[in-house]
Amino acid sequence: MSFYFAIIGTKDNPIYECEFGTSKQGGDGIARWPEDQRPMNQFILHSALDIVEEVQWVQRELYLKTVDRFNNLMVSCFLSAGNIKFLLLHDTKIEDPIRQFFTDVHEVYIKTLMNPFYEVDMRITSMVFDARVRAAAKKYL
Amino acid sequence: MSNLNAPNSPFVPFSPNPSIQSGVPTATPPLSASKPAQLGSSNLRYASSRKSIYDRHLNRTQRSELSKASFAFLFGEMIQYAQKQVSGIQDLEKKLNIQGYAIGQRLLELLLYREGRSAKRETRVLGILQFIAQTLYRHLFGKPADGLEKSREHEDEYMLIDHDPVVNSHISVPKEMSQLNCAAFVAGIIEAVLDGSLFPCRVTAHSVFSEQFPSKTVFLIKFEESVLEREAVLQ
Amino acid sequence: MVILSILILNKAGGLIYQRDFNEGLNKLSSNDYLVLAGTFHGVHAITSRISPVPGSGGLEVLESDQFRVQCFQTLTGTKFLIFAEPHQPNIDVICRRVYELYADYVMKNPFYQIEMPIRCEQFDRQLVAYIKPKQ
Repeated sequence: MSFYFAIIGTKDNPIYECEFGTSKQGGDGIARWPEDQRPMNQFILHSALDIVEEVQWVQRELYLKTVDRFNNLMVSCFLSAGNIKFLLLHDTKIEDPIRQFFTDVHEVYIKTLMNPFYEVDMRITSMVFDARVRAAAKKYL
Repeated sequence: MSNLNAPNSPFVPFSPNPSIQSGVPTATPPLSASKPAQLGSSNLRYASSRKSIYDRHLNRTQRSELSKASFAFLFGEMIQYAQKQVSGIQDLEKKLNIQGYAIGQRLLELLLYREGRSAKRETRVLGILQFIAQTLYRHLFGKPADGLEKSREHEDEYMLIDHDPVVNSHISVPKEMSQLNCAAFVAGIIEAVLDGSLFPCRVTAHSVFSEQFPSKTVFLIKFEESVLEREAVLQ
Repeated sequence: MVILSILILNKAGGLIYQRDFNEGLNKLSSNDYLVLAGTFHGVHAITSRISPVPGSGGLEVLESDQFRVQCFQTLTGTKFLIFAEPHQPNIDVICRRVYELYADYVMKNPFYQIEMPIRCEQFDRQLVAYIKPKQ
């Protein structure tokens, strides 16, 4: 199982992204996307934004579950109060671990936001943030 | 660090590690080379306790209170600072609004986070206004707003009423600036919360004198057209 | 209890606030008030210098059969003069409270310039609200 994760700002601008593999069932946490698939991941994720914009007015939860599919890939979305979109591309249907992952990342994102030098929609360049996201991925996915 | 700068550095397009970004790949290296960004090897500076903002719990200060006097001094300084760089009253209110805006953006996320698993985003005008009048106001000032009214003349205008804004309690505006209401700062917070929840609008603070409440303030919320159109569709 | 009038002097002896709380006081011209403040400031300075006891803080109370003046000086040299009836009790409490209102509604007001005359609505309002019910 491989994952591609991105955080999209309020102006549909990516502010963070990373990829990782599963750490469950003896996985080593390294993403193994086919070589020609990797550039596609960004497209797939961004094309899901349209659907998120529709779903977000119907559903009031933060976790919107799986919003889009592309071949055998799924896009799950978590939408924060300030309309920051957390998108995860995955190939296996797992709901609860993804929710837990998103919840953790959401918390770390808010901590980033508490930094007075960080502004909404700015790229997240903190290494600690990166490490925390990867730790959450390792823990749940 | 040096191995990441090498020509065979992994392709991580928006990686927070600047040295990875500088090595934009010409040929993508094998994926197994992909490494998580290394901690502690950056130019990131830590506090002396070696703890960053990420080590603090978000709910730690949930119930803590702030001395009103220290806030009054800080807010006073903010006004004086803003006053130095503006030409008129409107300009000053704009500056205060911007100062509040940054706080609103953060509070919106934080307050919803603190609601835990039951947290719901607000999708309707009334819902978000209630959120502001209750949750946000209680968090900021320890009391709900004193009133929420819909304008009779304009479909797109709402009024949030505060009989005695905390931010204004130590402030007497001189006569020659009688148009000024320093609660523009709070208006900025409200505007950010509404904007952030995708209810784009303009929020302005107006003093409405009454015998009973001499510093009564009305926050006029004027939504953009798109908000009303969407509201009609959702209904 | 009757409070007749309250004056606030800055540290240079200039009058920065004056308000009457009772009818029937002699109306002085604004110039006379300034003279009164300046004179008191000078007398206060003299009393603190020529006091027979070393380390004296200067004039505190001035009594006549018509009224009594209580002077309260802050650490920064601002003086509060309270004119009251001759046998007014607890006047030091009133002084403290007026000082508190001054700290709250004058010093915390970003539009007030220090040592300048006090024109703060909130201060006026709070002072009246404090003194009036006691009259």
